[in-house]
Amino acid sequence: MKCLCLFVLFLCLRCDGAGSKPRRGRGSMWWGIAKAGEPNNLSPLSPGVLYMDPAVHATLRRKQRRLARENPGVLAAVAKGANMAVAECQHQFKYRRWNCSTRNFLRGKNLFGKIVDRGCRETAFIYAITSAGVTHAVSRACAEGSIESCTCDYSHVDRAPHRSRAAAAANVRVWKWGGCSDNIGFGFKFSREFVDTGERGKTLREKMNLHNNEAGRMHVQTEMRQECKCHGMSGSCTVKTCWMRLPSFRSVGDALKDRFDGASRVMMSNTDLEAPVQRNDAAPHRVPRRDRYRFQLRPHNPDHKSPGAKDLVYLESSPGFCEKNPRLGIPGTHGRTCNDTSIGVDGCDLMCCGRGYRTETMFVVERCNCTFHWCCEVKCKLCRTEKVVHTCL
Amino acid sequence: MAGTVLENLSSRKLAVLISFLLACQAICFLIGGLVAPVPANVQTILGTVCKDTSKDKNDTTKWFYVRGNGKCESIDLANVQLGHDLSEADIVFAFQMPTPREGEFFDYSRWQQNLIGVLLMDIRYHSAMEVKSHSIVTIDARLAYRNKEDPEDAWKLYKQSVETRNLDCDIDVKTEGYLYNCTTVPLFELGSLYHDYYLLNIRLPVDTKEMNTHIGHIQDIWLTVINQNGGFTQVWLSLKTAFFPCIVGLLIWFWNRIHLLQRKPVLLEEMLFALGIALCVLDMPIEYLTLHFDLPFMLLLSDVRQGFFYASLFSFWLVFSGEHMLIQEVRAKSTLRKYWRHLSAVLLGCVSLFIFDMCERGIQLRNPFYSIWVTELGTNLALSFIILAGISTGMYFMFLSYMVWQVFLNISQKRQSMPAMSSVRRLHYEGIIYRFNFLMLATLICAAMTVIGFILGQVAEGQWKWDDNIELEYTSAFFTGVYGMWNIYIIALLVLYAPSHKKWPVNENTSDTQNLSEEIEFNKMPAERSEISSLTSFITKPAVD
Repeated sequence: MKCLCLFVLFLCLRCDGAGSKPRRGRGSMWWGIAKAGEPNNLSPLSPGVLYMDPAVHATLRRKQRRLARENPGVLAAVAKGANMAVAECQHQFKYRRWNCSTRNFLRGKNLFGKIVDRGCRETAFIYAITSAGVTHAVSRACAEGSIESCTCDYSHVDRAPHRSRAAAAANVRVWKWGGCSDNIGFGFKFSREFVDTGERGKTLREKMNLHNNEAGRMHVQTEMRQECKCHGMSGSCTVKTCWMRLPSFRSVGDALKDRFDGASRVMMSNTDLEAPVQRNDAAPHRVPRRDRYRFQLRPHNPDHKSPGAKDLVYLESSPGFCEKNPRLGIPGTHGRTCNDTSIGVDGCDLMCCGRGYRTETMFVVERCNCTFHWCCEVKCKLCRTEKVVHTCL
Repeated sequence: MAGTVLENLSSRKLAVLISFLLACQAICFLIGGLVAPVPANVQTILGTVCKDTSKDKNDTTKWFYVRGNGKCESIDLANVQLGHDLSEADIVFAFQMPTPREGEFFDYSRWQQNLIGVLLMDIRYHSAMEVKSHSIVTIDARLAYRNKEDPEDAWKLYKQSVETRNLDCDIDVKTEGYLYNCTTVPLFELGSLYHDYYLLNIRLPVDTKEMNTHIGHIQDIWLTVINQNGGFTQVWLSLKTAFFPCIVGLLIWFWNRIHLLQRKPVLLEEMLFALGIALCVLDMPIEYLTLHFDLPFMLLLSDVRQGFFYASLFSFWLVFSGEHMLIQEVRAKSTLRKYWRHLSAVLLGCVSLFIFDMCERGIQLRNPFYSIWVTELGTNLALSFIILAGISTGMYFMFLSYMVWQVFLNISQKRQSMPAMSSVRRLHYEGIIYRFNFLMLATLICAAMTVIGFILGQVAEGQWKWDDNIELEYTSAFFTGVYGMWNIYIIALLVLYAPSHKKWPVNENTSDTQNLSEEIEFNKMPAERSEISSLTSFITKPAVD
């Protein structure tokens, strides 16, 4: 039975592979799920019943559909994660020439546009942040209990294939004996399975995608903070229990943005599949297809250090984002607002690429002096302020 | 009595006994490390925001839960229509424990013993609404339970309380969209995990004008529940069940042995017996009862039992070193009254800790949400009790080290005068010195092991790996190892410091020797300050012979 499944899966992988573009990795279409309707419509909480929007269906690879089928509730989490990633990307790149704009077309096209066809820094960031988004959102959904199939991995016991009655009894035993592991473990593993589908790690571009996806997940893991509680005799610290707290996604985005600024340009090692990279492996007991993560990328400049597990890597320099470039799906910076006093990338000189800018003075009415009351009351005044807006020509 | 078993045991037998005990110790450690899981399990649960549309908010039969028939209507706080149809009383954070895993709804087992809940709030920064670093949050918390055979909506009220908690938040980057770093808020402690499922409903009421107005924009509330692991309880209880009959048997043997003697038991023997009783109380596996009865006082009781054990261990050490003072003025049988100053330190420490425990865990029996640390008065009270306990511990250790120091001074003095003594007296003193040094060594080793183990556990959080294939659960190994060590320590004391049946090796034919040796056993000769006085008393002694 299992063999048959694998065989079918293999066939699907083959036929899916034939149609897609050779250059970029093939595991990026699922981003479209972010725009595919309201997350609430994606999957009802009750298991067994599954309703999948045709638009969603189209964006997913077959393995991803299977994963969504096997883990009810996961699609909503993935959609939430993708949305979170897009929002975070747009926040981080608000003041840059490339502002992480997305497009609304779904079928056959990419959410972030054709920029992902190039293996540049921006693409690296997109891959990392989306993979981090899925990890984060799935871990969160596990904590909320909206995904019921999160694993209860207990390291002493090898996982039996689930859904059988014996396995169910074994799971209960594991839970009663040693409890269940943290939510982040499932988020990490699921993200690997879901996001990395189709990135076989054969070509350099696929390796880049894999590396950046992994880097995104690593950042979710390393941004976690430890909390402890003492509960020994009379509440003393003779017994202390610690756990990891899921980071806010903003801090993950900040960390990834730092890595974006220091991303390393790579090329393939001469010898393929060198010594395994030291990784903080979340699933040490899972053997299948693990070796696709075992590669070492070589820096483009031999004087540089080779990239670490948390570094973002790219293959080619970024295109100029100044002018509209339909071939790469770049809208250009025409009409973007800029800051005339800044000398950074949000300054008008850099943002408008020397084309100059238009300055307008306008009156805007906005909410101000807000006071916030738990839970749902915000009292604001309406202020009329004069604003000077600079817009690139 | 002619000394204890320890002095009269041949070194071969002693070696066998000690290696047997060491093997037991190693087994205890390995059982914890290889068989038992981590002592406690953590589940982090994200609160689901439910909408309460009912009019009566104080209705405790209405519950909001996340899974199962009649689950609540959940809303997203981020998209809430501000100020329209929702008020703060309509928002309920629901936490259903335990969370589902592997597609199944797990339930709590009674082996999991206790449940501790800690809240963590994700508070979003708003420039218009800064959270002060010390603010107070008022929580209306309701805890409900359900059992497996109940229908999915049949939640029953367990405890309800309106509590205030201190909320300490700070933020590094004061920009919209960032979260405050808030400290954890301890919420509840359940001493018994009797039911299968638990449900916590939390509201943040705004009943008065100042209530909950300075806590900012709460984005999420996370609840972390900690329960003891079933496997750990099983291993722990099996250790207890194994040790308990051993200790009881040994105590009976010890008592018989003392009563076989013609004399009355001396203070040290009584202390040793009391220590054995304390260990018995500690080892008694009454946790088995929790599998059938709802016993919320278990946490408190285990604190009291541990406290009782420590108190008797500490008193024993004091009395032991006091009784091994070779130079003593009074010849009468010493009683506990002699040590009242030293023992009052132990007593004071224990009593203050007990009062503190009663104030915290005692009141938690009635209200699991209670915490003494919330109010100013309570914090001061708790702190003063703890400081008092700390001071008395410090005093105790000063007393103890002073006494041990004195004993060592005594010993070195005696060593010098030893060659001039008669063989009986020399053997007698040698016996005392040997006994004392043996216990000192054993105690120091045990204490050092405990402290080192504790520090190692603090430094190396979590698991230790010596080999990829052998996973050693260090925390559990530490607990079972230390527990086994003190058990074995006391077993060894009971065995080795029991009165020996063997006769004094020389001059053993007369009953006078018996009397003499008994007399000089613990009530020492008159003060021997100098070589000369010791010699004179030396001369007087054979006259008695």
